[in-house]
Amino acid sequence: MAGPYGAGRENRRDLWVSGFILAGAITLYALPTRYQTPLRDFVRSTVLRPVFAFQGDIARERGERAALGDVRAQRDSLFAVSAAQWGLAQENRDLRGLLGLRERTPADFVAAELIPMADLGVESTFLVTVGSADGVAPGAAVISPSGLVGVLRDVAERRSQGIDWSHPEFRAGAMTSDGDSYGIVEARRGRFREEDALALVGTPFHNDIPAGTRVVTSGRGGVFPRGIPLGLVEGIEEADTGWRKTYLVRPAVRMQAVVHVLVTRSDAEGALLRDYSAIWAVPAPPDTVTPPDSAQAGSR
Amino acid sequence: MTRRWGYAAMVALLVGVHFVLRISLGLGESAPDLLTVALLLAARRLRPSVGAALGLVLGVLRDSLGVGSFGADALAMTVIGWLGGRSRDWFEGGTPPFIGVYLTLGVWAHHILRTILGGVPVDSSIIGALVIGPIVGALYAAAAGVAAFLAYTSFAAPSR
Repeated sequence: MAGPYGAGRENRRDLWVSGFILAGAITLYALPTRYQTPLRDFVRSTVLRPVFAFQGDIARERGERAALGDVRAQRDSLFAVSAAQWGLAQENRDLRGLLGLRERTPADFVAAELIPMADLGVESTFLVTVGSADGVAPGAAVISPSGLVGVLRDVAERRSQGIDWSHPEFRAGAMTSDGDSYGIVEARRGRFREEDALALVGTPFHNDIPAGTRVVTSGRGGVFPRGIPLGLVEGIEEADTGWRKTYLVRPAVRMQAVVHVLVTRSDAEGALLRDYSAIWAVPAPPDTVTPPDSAQAGSR
Repeated sequence: MTRRWGYAAMVALLVGVHFVLRISLGLGESAPDLLTVALLLAARRLRPSVGAALGLVLGVLRDSLGVGSFGADALAMTVIGWLGGRSRDWFEGGTPPFIGVYLTLGVWAHHILRTILGGVPVDSSIIGALVIGPIVGALYAAAAGVAAFLAYTSFAAPSR
């Protein structure tokens, strides 16, 4: 049947052109990530620049207009986090002084505002208002007063994008706060976003973890520092043929409530080796396994 | 000529409003998927190849927002743009109910394609991920699209 735009040769030409465009789309889809990233950065810094600029303005405006009580509460909590670090930093300085080692970067975190992203394909991602100019790098942990929010993936000069704990690719080395069980925490998507949860997978079968047990980052895996709260165990999800158990974990952080966050700085030496349990008053026993980096750090 | 530019302006406005609502204001899925609606409305008046090209461009824009699979939305939007252009050969009509059904099916089809291309594991939960929520979202987007279409026709009518 002839279309309203003409028949015969014109239709065939249109079909060929459509085929080329479809081939281009398939090529784009199949490209390795290292070639996709520059294209993504180019589009972000050109066509989408006004969208992000407007988003930044809105975030600043939202931060200024937020309920004063909430802002004060978040500020106080973040201050508590920073203040707790001061004690560790002082202890670190004293010990380093005793050992005759040089001074390290004093601040592990930089404060930022978090803007949730929500469109098809970008669910469970967020923007933060800090970038490489502020000393952060891909892989940096993002924390709130309640616990671990997520991890940064793409870092621009003044803005970064990350995935939160509900993203399908989120993983964190985790342990119970008593140090009895270690495993990996990953996301579990609920029927509705409000039902999203975490799962502690790969825990030893012979260990029973009671409901209500706090789960924190273990510091293993080289991504997140040790001792950051992830959530509370709700119950067992599955037992895998006598080898391991998986537990459902109620997340410590609800993304809807997060506005102000701290991001770990890449230039803070040894930040990944520190234990932040004291900041959240989480009792955590000493790690029984020495991370390979700590041997190098100790030799400096 | 004026009406053509008016229609193009409406499509461009829908694209702009989509990014402002979903990204700048952070409304997410509380806001309708106006990007796909804009493509579907434009494709009805374009050749299939031009519809596919527009879909590719709009898909690349949306893909650039994410951190995961790049190109999935570009491919899905290319297919939807081409189908939208071809739909003139299969279905005639420009009444609001027809536009509503067309947009609903188009937005839903896009969601299904995008989800599958995005690498979602196929298990028992995929039915829920592809049917219930997306149909509601498609109806919501179609309602917004019909409203924009009616606003355009009432605005463009005096210039006939």
